Amino acid sequence: MSADIIYLPRWRARGPRAGAHRARDTGGLGTFKDQVSFLRLPDARRIDLRATLRDPFDGVHVRRFEARMAVEVWALVDLSASMRFRGAADRMTLVGALCQGLAASTTRIGDSFGLIACDAFIREELSLIATRRRASAAAAAARIAGARPAGRSAAGLLAAAARIAGQPKLVFLISDFRWPEPLMEQVFAALSFHDVVPVIVADSRETGDLPEWGLLELEDLEGAGTRLVLMRPSLRGRWLVQEGERMARLARLARRNGREPFRLADRFDPDALSRHLLGA
Amino acid sequence: MSPLLGLIGRYGAERPGLLWLLPLALLPLLAAPRRRTPLPSLAAVPTDPLSRGLAALLGAAGCLAVAGLVVGIAGPYREGAEVKRTGIGAEISMLIDRSGSMNETFAGRQPSAEESKAAASRRILGEFVGSRAHDLFAVTGFSTAPMLVLPMTDRHDAVRAAIRAIDRPGLDYTNVGRGLAMALAQFGSGTGHASRVLLLVSDGAAVIDPRVQDSLRAAFAKMRPNLYWLFLRTKGSPGIADRPAGEDTPQAAPERHLDLFFRSLGVPYRAFEPEGPEAVSAAIRQIEGLERDPIPYIERRPRRDLTGAAYAAALLGLVILIVGKLAEADLRRPQAPAAAPAAERRIAA
Repeated sequence: MSADIIYLPRWRARGPRAGAHRARDTGGLGTFKDQVSFLRLPDARRIDLRATLRDPFDGVHVRRFEARMAVEVWALVDLSASMRFRGAADRMTLVGALCQGLAASTTRIGDSFGLIACDAFIREELSLIATRRRASAAAAAARIAGARPAGRSAAGLLAAAARIAGQPKLVFLISDFRWPEPLMEQVFAALSFHDVVPVIVADSRETGDLPEWGLLELEDLEGAGTRLVLMRPSLRGRWLVQEGERMARLARLARRNGREPFRLADRFDPDALSRHLLGA
Repeated sequence: MSPLLGLIGRYGAERPGLLWLLPLALLPLLAAPRRRTPLPSLAAVPTDPLSRGLAALLGAAGCLAVAGLVVGIAGPYREGAEVKRTGIGAEISMLIDRSGSMNETFAGRQPSAEESKAAASRRILGEFVGSRAHDLFAVTGFSTAPMLVLPMTDRHDAVRAAIRAIDRPGLDYTNVGRGLAMALAQFGSGTGHASRVLLLVSDGAAVIDPRVQDSLRAAFAKMRPNLYWLFLRTKGSPGIADRPAGEDTPQAAPERHLDLFFRSLGVPYRAFEPEGPEAVSAAIRQIEGLERDPIPYIERRPRRDLTGAAYAAALLGLVILIVGKLAEADLRRPQAPAAAPAAERRIAA
């Protein structure tokens, strides 16, 4: 079992279920939040003596504590055909490892884990409604590792965003983001209510490890045909610059929604993801 | 027929049925035997005109290779053709006397130190042939009967060979009439632009039958050749202009009467009466100087085998393809074993 993924939601959760995250509601034995008057919260067990004595108007004060709530964590997985790419690592293996890590980490602290796999439509047979049951979450994550992406587009993500509307949720948007620009905007707009962590599934083979010289007959995984390319340092440079610009655009879009994208390349490192989720 | 069809019509193939396989040459446009590297999205690849040009070149090379092989197997050739050209020269029909007396010298003796008339005419005519590139020659021998030695041709080697053969020992008598008829027939029925020369080389003459005379007149009127008579006169024998002592009949003075017949034909006519090899060559030079007209001549191009060219084109295409294949790069080349499994073990421990 790999290390836990540690995450901090960016919002104060509310809801009925006790859990591990700071919430907007008060109650229980959480972190001290504030003091209110006894009339407002007539809880004699939590009278703050020190504050009561200090009050010149003889008001009685009661301590309030933050409740700890559970949140829902969703993984939205893009299953368009470009996710079939196998370079230094198999993309779907990486995605499977990430989902398994998420499933284990969330269910272990009482959060529920949901998964929606989409190509042009939602792939129901691979999806999972949010659950706290460890076995179901792990099974769904294992299923996604064996899935065979074949879709021509990722438009189903819009439907997925509609499905998880409601309470704010922590959403891992897992894709290689080889989407047309408008779809990218629409998906981020549809998910703007949630705490979205874009996970860019990348591969060193498709960027940094490109050969300097040689002929490459490239075949588009999404069926846009083949193209012959004569690799040479100048073209490689232009290629990398273009990829860099694409990443910068994506990062700009993601930052507008609050979080930097996480780059999942070649191998899945849970600690790196935790650092990314906690820091920045 | 349009010129293009005419051009195509000049080409042929040994096994034309195989040319039905030519559409196979389009296969390289559909698929190429190159390693296909899957890429998530081609949109990531910058547009590159050089690559596009190279792709077109490789496609064309593939088509060329397949087409060249198919055509090469079919066995292409270009039909032999007759090309009409114009040069300076004349159609020269040589009529050479092969009677026994030609083997004698100009002095009327058997050849010993002195060369025979046949040998002299052979040498001098041989020099004449080939001095101008576009002369056409026909060679006819005659003695009792005419002998077709060589039809009208521009192959000067063959003509020289035919002339070399005229000093073989000659035969019987002299029958000028039928020889003339055949020599005239050597002129093709072609265009009248060519300057035509009938060169009669003989050392004597004979009576021409009056009936043959009529047909000869008709043939001369039709062909209108310039007639040159190289009369290799033996010393002491009667010349062309000599009147016989007795009765002036064709039988008594055949040379004189043949000359008279030639004069009556109404074609340009000259007689030479050289009495030795030097005089013969002077006469020949004179004839050569007279005949300087443009002549349309036909050049025969032999059938040409184009299989080699087809295979060469296929080879060119294949070489380009092989170079392209060797230049292939592999995006998924094996790398040093990734560090991922080791890291996972460390975490697990």
